Formats: sequence, structure tokens, C-alpha cells
Amino acid sequence: MYTGLTFLGVIIGSVLFHIWSPWWWTDVASNWGSMDETIILTFWIAGGVFVLVCLFLVYCIFKFPYKEGREVEYKPEDNKLEKRLTWITAIGVVALLAPGLFVWNDYIKVPNNAIHIEVVAWQWSWKYRLPGEDGKLGTSSVKNIKDDNPFGINPDDPNGKDDILIDDSELHLLTNKPVKILLRSLDVLHNFYVPQFRAKMDAVPGVVTYYWFEPKKEGEYEVLCAEYCGVGHYAMRAAVIVEDEENYKKWLAKHETFSSFLARKDNNLHKTRMVKINNLSKDKKSILKIEN
Amino acid sequence: MSDPTLDKLPGGFKGMSTDMGSDQTAFKGVNWGKAMMWIFLLSDTFIFSCFLISYMKVRASVVDPWPYPSEVFALEFMGAPVPLLLIAIMTFVLITSSGTMALAVKYGYEKNKKMCGMFVLLTAIGGLTFVGMQAFEWSKLIFHEGVRPWTNPFGAEQFGAFFFMITGFHGTHVSIGVIFLFIFARKVFKGDFDTGKRGFFTTMKSDYVAIEILGLYWHFVDLVWVFIFAFFYLW
Amino acid sequence: MLDDLDIKKKNSQPKTKSSSASGGGTDIDYVKPAEVPDQDLYHGHSFITKWIFCQDAKVIGVQYTLTAVLTGVIGLILSWMMRMQLGFPELFPFFTADSYYQFVTMHGMIMVVYLLTALFLGGFGNYLIPLMVGARDMVFPYVNMVSFWMFFLAVMVLMASFFVPGGPTGAGWTLYPPQAILEGTPGSSYGILLMIISLALFVIGFTMGGLNYVITILQARTRGMTLMRMPLTIWGIFTATVLALLAFPALFVGAIMMTLDKLLATSFFMPTILKAGEVLAYDGGSPLLFQHLFWFFGHPEVYIVALPAFGIVSDLISVHARKNIFGYRMMVWAIVGIGALSFFVWAHHMYVSGMSPWFGFFFATTTLIIAVPTAIKVYNWILTLWRGNIKMTVTMLFCLGFIVTFVNGGITGLFLGNVAVDVPLSDTYFVIAHFHMVMGIAPIMVIFGAIYHWFPLVTGRFLDEKLGKLHFWITFLGAYSIYFPMHYLGFIGVPRRYFEMYDSPYITSAVGMNEFISIAAFIVGAAQFIFFYNVIKSLRLGKLAGKNPWKANSLEWYTPNVPPVHGNWGDKLPVVHRWPYDYNVPGAKEDYISQTTPPSEVREAEVEKT
Repeated sequence: MYTGLTFLGVIIGSVLFHIWSPWWWTDVASNWGSMDETIILTFWIAGGVFVLVCLFLVYCIFKFPYKEGREVEYKPEDNKLEKRLTWITAIGVVALLAPGLFVWNDYIKVPNNAIHIEVVAWQWSWKYRLPGEDGKLGTSSVKNIKDDNPFGINPDDPNGKDDILIDDSELHLLTNKPVKILLRSLDVLHNFYVPQFRAKMDAVPGVVTYYWFEPKKEGEYEVLCAEYCGVGHYAMRAAVIVEDEENYKKWLAKHETFSSFLARKDNNLHKTRMVKINNLSKDKKSILKIEN
Repeated sequence: MSDPTLDKLPGGFKGMSTDMGSDQTAFKGVNWGKAMMWIFLLSDTFIFSCFLISYMKVRASVVDPWPYPSEVFALEFMGAPVPLLLIAIMTFVLITSSGTMALAVKYGYEKNKKMCGMFVLLTAIGGLTFVGMQAFEWSKLIFHEGVRPWTNPFGAEQFGAFFFMITGFHGTHVSIGVIFLFIFARKVFKGDFDTGKRGFFTTMKSDYVAIEILGLYWHFVDLVWVFIFAFFYLW
Repeated sequence: MLDDLDIKKKNSQPKTKSSSASGGGTDIDYVKPAEVPDQDLYHGHSFITKWIFCQDAKVIGVQYTLTAVLTGVIGLILSWMMRMQLGFPELFPFFTADSYYQFVTMHGMIMVVYLLTALFLGGFGNYLIPLMVGARDMVFPYVNMVSFWMFFLAVMVLMASFFVPGGPTGAGWTLYPPQAILEGTPGSSYGILLMIISLALFVIGFTMGGLNYVITILQARTRGMTLMRMPLTIWGIFTATVLALLAFPALFVGAIMMTLDKLLATSFFMPTILKAGEVLAYDGGSPLLFQHLFWFFGHPEVYIVALPAFGIVSDLISVHARKNIFGYRMMVWAIVGIGALSFFVWAHHMYVSGMSPWFGFFFATTTLIIAVPTAIKVYNWILTLWRGNIKMTVTMLFCLGFIVTFVNGGITGLFLGNVAVDVPLSDTYFVIAHFHMVMGIAPIMVIFGAIYHWFPLVTGRFLDEKLGKLHFWITFLGAYSIYFPMHYLGFIGVPRRYFEMYDSPYITSAVGMNEFISIAAFIVGAAQFIFFYNVIKSLRLGKLAGKNPWKANSLEWYTPNVPPVHGNWGDKLPVVHRWPYDYNVPGAKEDYISQTTPPSEVREAEVEKT
């Protein structure tokens, strides 16, 4: 009796926990509300099965406790019932799978007007690259990464010259404009995940992976690395700020393109050289014959 | 090996389902050791398949060009490079040794000690020759051509890595087979399989079926070589 | 050694007539004669050959069980340390991120491989298979004995990794490259190597054992024991063993290639990598290749754990509800079907791995197809209870606990299998809650139920019923309270493998939930001491059980000696006339008819023809 009641309590408790839980998913801030809807459908169908199966179990506990001489049904199989149950389950499964596959189809087909944004992951932080005026990202390679080329952009690729380098971990996005995130990793597997956007994909070193979403709500969101990448995995955070056009342009203006980065480096080099020459020429002006 | 009761059982698919539905044994008249060897070989097939599929995957996806096996594995003969000469000989030796093994099994069941022992020995020598030639191949690549698991002068570095790993695993399997072949040759000549002498470790009675079981293993090793030859050297 | 041999008397009289006492012989009792001579067993005579290098599968089964359980206790302690850090980080400042990740990795690998796989296949498989199919021992006892010592060696090597410089590997139980062998992951120098060596030894040992289990079941059954008269326990262990023989090769190959990447700087899995400002020597490798190999093993592995549990729980429910298992034939086909399908679903662990997105369609479909035979099994379990006569023994309680937790865990699997739903939930605590519920709690319920059930056979004594019930309720309710709420941590977006529990200004705090879960975990952990105390006490002081105390039908309860001795059956092998589920047959005198009862003794019963 108490056994049956306790099991019943577990079922009812689970349902109540689900209804009252303060721990529920974040408000969706991207276009992927369809994932939430699929989850809700799954809760109804699969959760319903859980409740029904467990209630049946509880019923059996109450109705058939051990009694000496009880009349027990001896029925090794019931093919009709099994067939019916199989069909019902199959239909339930299809009802779950079909919507999910439609959502997945949307997930892998990136809209044509999506802005390409490169997200570079490494142990244990993030940086970003935007395609600039020409809308194309220059090719890149880990082997090109040096002090004067922190993103490893291919110096011979003209598309890369106007790429905007964002060498800090804060990314800004425009509201209601779809973005295709191109993920690059410099060392191990990482994953760029914002719970409110729902979408995620691993960054795999050696290849470029992608996913897309459209930010729908302005605000500040935290980025979490969602693929184990070593001891700093839990600390590999970043921020995504979704804002309107005006603020976005302000933020963009603060970051330089690859060509201006190169020019600045060149200029610095040039300046350093000039300083060196000037210092030299202070001593040996007459020999070097340098004009000021 | 003809058992009158076995012959009375139905054959074909009906026979298979009758056997599966019967009591005691699912495979009628099959010695336990033989059945175990078949299942072990199935598992081992999965190992070599994983190696070869991984090889195909990596070869398809590396950016660096893959070396031409016919050039890498060529031997100089009378001044001209003959592609794949050594492995052609190796393949011939191994396949022949499978033939001698099959004869050994036949003579074993006929209880012909001398012929069985001789063919087991011939198989062992064939296997040993194969391993020797593989060792020669390895030393040529390592010491004369600079091929390493981590790099090679011909192309993508994974070439050497896969070559050594796959041929190394196969060569190890062949070597283990050779050791057992020599041990079994000795047992045959001593007459252990006739008398049913108990094994040193397992204390089980010796029987000529052990030659057939070893034969199964040997044919498997040969078959794997055919696949390695096809995928790694010819493709 | 040779003088120790003792050849058993040949059981060579084919039975053409029933030798039952009543009424002389009739044809209805006919069973085909023996096809092979009786097995010739090696009997040890010294302490070493009787208890250490023993070839008796029952002793080997106990050896596996003790080793697996002790290793599992270490895994349990590691989980307490993880929960200490996650629930109360300020109280335990000496847990560093390094050590946390090492706990996570070792806990995972120990529990999945060294506890669950070893216990179900090596422990229960060795003890029960020969007994339940009517054999005297496994077909190759020597190799069976070696297989245990390989497992023991594998455990020793794994434990050794705690003591090497750098400590054990902290790469996560999935051991993904490139991080597993690079600095930045704990144990990436020696720890990972010892882990891989340990796994290789485990695979070799389990191949030896697995060959024994498969061939004993296929080729060494007793007269009258057809495949469809075997208890579902055997079907579950048999299918799991076949899966193991075919799935472990992929792990073995992946492990070899990772070792070469580490030791010889090959680039199987290692692409171009920038570390501390330097480009490493690796180039051109594919981290995804490892993931495919690992999960081709990894998914069948979880069924290697689940299928024996399915089989065992079917038998336990049947005996303790005094009713035939409902739909035995469908149950068999479901086990075999799940086993076969399990090879076609592996990439549902890789939906967000960056693999070609088109694979998502295929694997989501196969994953949800595999839900159908699994659901059928669940229906059949509860239909077995329907109109049964349910004895609320400790074993039955654990079976009921299994059904609740398995259905819960299986349902959350449907969430994750549906590819689009997996996108927000992957790598979050939802996944951790799912697999603990379905692989941790549910099979553990079966293990406990099975131990309470078969303890009287192995030792001749009962475990204490009151302590057992206390153990059950704390374990079941406690474990459910740990993992059911954990799903919701996943919903709010908390990622897995986080040393410091993520607390964000944008999201509901998880701190309170984590504290609750940690406390529940400590309580459940402590409750296991009740079980160990019960076992130790009952070995000497438990109530004597006698023969077949549960009035079960399957062969293991019908040995001449209880506990059964080497050779199991004495002079005469058992002869089987029916399936093991003839409970409460209409017209029968008792509420059970054993497998060895000939038809002439139960003419009045309306038995099913099996």
C-alpha cells in the first residue's frame, strides 16, 4: 500500500516539479523558437507516455498484491495487442521526428542574406572577424599566425584586406539580421554557445564549421564554451551584444580592418626604424647625410 | 568428418532455421574451438576494417598530396624500377602458404602425420618468409628513404603513419601465426595429435581439429593481406 | 598439473523414454539424445588452482563481481568529490580545475567500462550462463580464467595512472583529441597513455571472455534447451556480448591511433595546432575521425550495459510476480533488434560536432526507430505485472524502480535523439541527467535486484529483507531526486564539464539546485554502506535459504548442491522440457513448473507449447 503510494508520489511530484520549476529555459532571443516548440511537443508526447506507463505500474501495485491462490492470467503473448502498441509507438515516434527534421532542415540551410561572421576560438578565449565592405572573408591558416598577423589571414588574398578584426571577446550583432557563424579553432575543439540563441556548433581545428541564427531581442548575452577544451573550459566566456544599427555602427568604428592593422604595424616599424636612424644620425649625421 | 546423423539433417535455409530452433547446438557438429575461432576472426575483421576505413577517410581529406604507392614501393631490377615487385612476391608467398595450410588440414584429418607435419612446416616457412620480406621493406623505407610515422619525403605525412600501423598490425598477426605453426609442426611430428596429449597450458586434449582452427586463422591473415594490398598499394 | 585431472563420467545414455516414476515412459517426454560427449573439466586441487587461477566460471564470476564493485566504489568516491566541488566550492578550495577534470574522467570511465560492463558480462555472465543453459562450465575454462586476470591487470594499470607524474588523464571519458594529448588537459603526458593501455588490456580480456559466453550459449546447451527456451537473462547477456565483440575493435583502433599521435607525433587526429604561440608539428589530421571511431564503439557500449539489464529484469519480474513474462518472443526479437540497430545510430552523439549536417537526418531517424523495440519491452514489463500476483520483495521493489527510472531516462533520450532538439541541449546538464538516469540508476537498480535475488543461490543464505527495503527506498528516491531535477539545469543552459558551476546575471541561479543535488548524492552514497553491511553480515548470519527459495523455474536453481559446486550438475546433466516462464499455469498444482519437469508430470496443466 505504502509502496504504491510512494511510487504515485514520485510520478505526481515529477509532474508538479515540471510545472512549478523556477529553473526553466531562458527566453528565446533568436529565431529558433521552433526548437522550443519541438521540445514542448516532445514533453507532451513523451512525458505523456512516462506518466501513463508509471500510472499503469502503480495501478498494478495496488490491484495485484501477493495473495495465496490468486487467479493469475497465463497468457504468454497477445500478438494483436503487441501489434497495436507497436503501431501507436511508431506513430508517436514519427510525430516527434517529423517536426524535428523540418527544424533541422531550416538549421542547415543558411538564408542568402546572412552576414558571415568568423568566430575564432582558442584556449581559452574568443575573437572575431567580419568580412568588411566586400562581404567576403579572406582565407586564413593557423600557419600564418604571427605577431603581425594574429588572425592568420592569407596576405595574398585581396578579400582579406578589408576584414574587420575584433581582437577582444565582445561581439556585437544587429537585431533582426541573420548571421552565419563560421567557426574556426586554433587548437582544440570548442563550441560557441549562447543559451538564449539556442543554436550551437563545435569549432573543430583544421576545418571551418558553421551555424546560423537571427538575433531578435536587443540585450547583452553571455557566451559559454560548450565543448570540453582543457582546464580553462569553464572560464572560456565571452559576451554578445545585440543592438540597433546606430549603436552597432559606433562599435564597429572602434575596430580596424586588416589593411589598416598592417599599415599601423608597418608604420610602427617605419617609425621605429626612423627613430633608430635618427639616433644613429645624431652621431653620424655628417656621414649619413640624412635630411631632417 | 562425415557423421551419419549430421547427413540426415535438412540442408539449405530450412536447415539453418531448423538448426537455430533446435536444442543443444546451433551449429551442428562444429567443434567449440572452431566456433570460437570464427567469432574471434569476425571481431578481428572489424579491427582491420576500422584501420582501412580510417585510412580511406584520412586519405580523402588530407590537403597534402598522397604519395604514389607504385613509385614508393618499386624495386630496382636490372637498372629499371619495377613497381610493386616486392609486394607481388610477398602476396604470392602468402597465398601459397594458404594453399600448403589447406593441404596440411587435409592430411591432418587423414591422420597422415608425415605429410601433415611437412605442410604445416612449409606454411610456417612461407609465413616467416613473408615477415622477413616485410621487415626488409620497412628497413628500406626507414633507413634509405627517410619514411617516418611523422613525416616522409613523398607527400602527406599520414602515408607513413598508416603504412607502418597497418602493415605492423598485420605483420604481428602473421608472426603470431608463424609461432603457432612451428609449435604445431613439432606437435604433429611428435604424434601429440594422434595420442590426444594434453596441452601444457590449457590441459585440453590435442586433436587434429586444432590444425583446422589454425588454418582458419591463417586464411584470415591471408585475406586481410589481400585487402591491404588492394587498398593501400594498388589504389 | 596433469595428475590433478578428473574426467567426469560420460553422460551417454540417450533418453528415449521418460524415466519419471509415474506410469512408466511415454513419448511426450522425448528429448533428443546428447550430441556431444560430456565436458571434460580441469579440477584444481591446490588453494591457488581452486581460488586464484580457478577455471570454474562461478568462481571467475565472483572474482569479476568483487573487482568490478570495488572499482565502482572508487568511482563513487570520485563522484562525491565532484559533487563537493559543484555544490559547495567555497568549502573545498583544495579541489583545483585540474583535479576536478581528472575526477570527471576517471569516474566516467570506471563506471561505464570497469563497473557496469565488467559486472554484467563478467560477473553475471560467468556465474549464470553455464547454469542457465545447463552446461557444466564455459566451453574454454582456461581462456575464461585468463580473461579475468587480464581485466584485473587492466584495473591495476588504470589505478596506477593516479600515481604517475601529472596524474590520471582529465580528458573526459570520451578522450577526444586534440585536447586529450595536449598540455592544457591534465594527465596529457602519462595519464592518457596508462588509460589507453588499460583499455587495450580490457578489450583483449573481454574478447577472451566474450568468445566463451557466445559459444557456450550457442553450442553447449543441455538437451532440450532450445534458444527460445533460454531465460531472457541469457538473451540479454548474449546479445550484449556479440555487440562487445563487434564494437570494441573501433575503440581499440582509435586508442592505438591516439597513442601513436602522442608517442610518435603522427597526425591521425591532429590538425595544425597553435599552442603558446607556436605551431606544433602536427598537420592534416581529423579530430572527427576519432569521434566516429569512439562513438561507433560508444553507442553499442551503452546497449552492452542496458541489454543484460533488460534481460535480467524480465526474469526478476517474472519470478516475483509469479507470472510468465508477457510476449517472450517479442522480447527476444526486441533485444536482438535493439542490438543490431545500435550499430546504426552512433552519430547522434555528434550532431553538433561539425560533421556533415546531412548525417543529422539519417541518424535522427535511426535513433528514433530504435525507440520502438525499446518501448515494446517497457510495455511488456508492465503487462507482465498486469493480473500477476506481485510479491513485494526487495527484488521486486528494485524492478519497479528500474521501470520508473528507465522510462524516464529513455524518454529524455528521445529529446536528445531528435536532432533539432539536441542543438540547444547537447553538452548541457540535460545530457548528464539523461545518461545517469538511463545508464547509472536504471541498471544499478537491476544489479541490486539481481544480487538480492541470486544471493541465496551463491551463498545459501538470504540478505536481510528489512535492511534491503531501507537500502532500496533511500537509493531509489535519493537517486531520482538527484537526476530528475538535473534535467532542468540543462534547460537553463548550464554546460557540462564546468569546474565552477556557471552563474550568470542573465539566467536563473543554479546554486540552490546544485547544493540540493550534492546533499542528495551524499545521502545516497552513504546508504550504500547499508548494502555492504547487509552483504557482509548475511554471509555468516543470513537466514538459510535452502533450495529454490523463490520457487523459480530456470535451471540455475535445480543443481544438486546449493551453492552449486564445480561441474554444476553432479552426475547427470539436466534435461529441459519447457521455457522458464510456466508460472500459474491453469490446472497445475503449484504456481510454478520448472524447466526440467517432464510433460507427463503435468498432464492436467494447460501449458503453452514452447
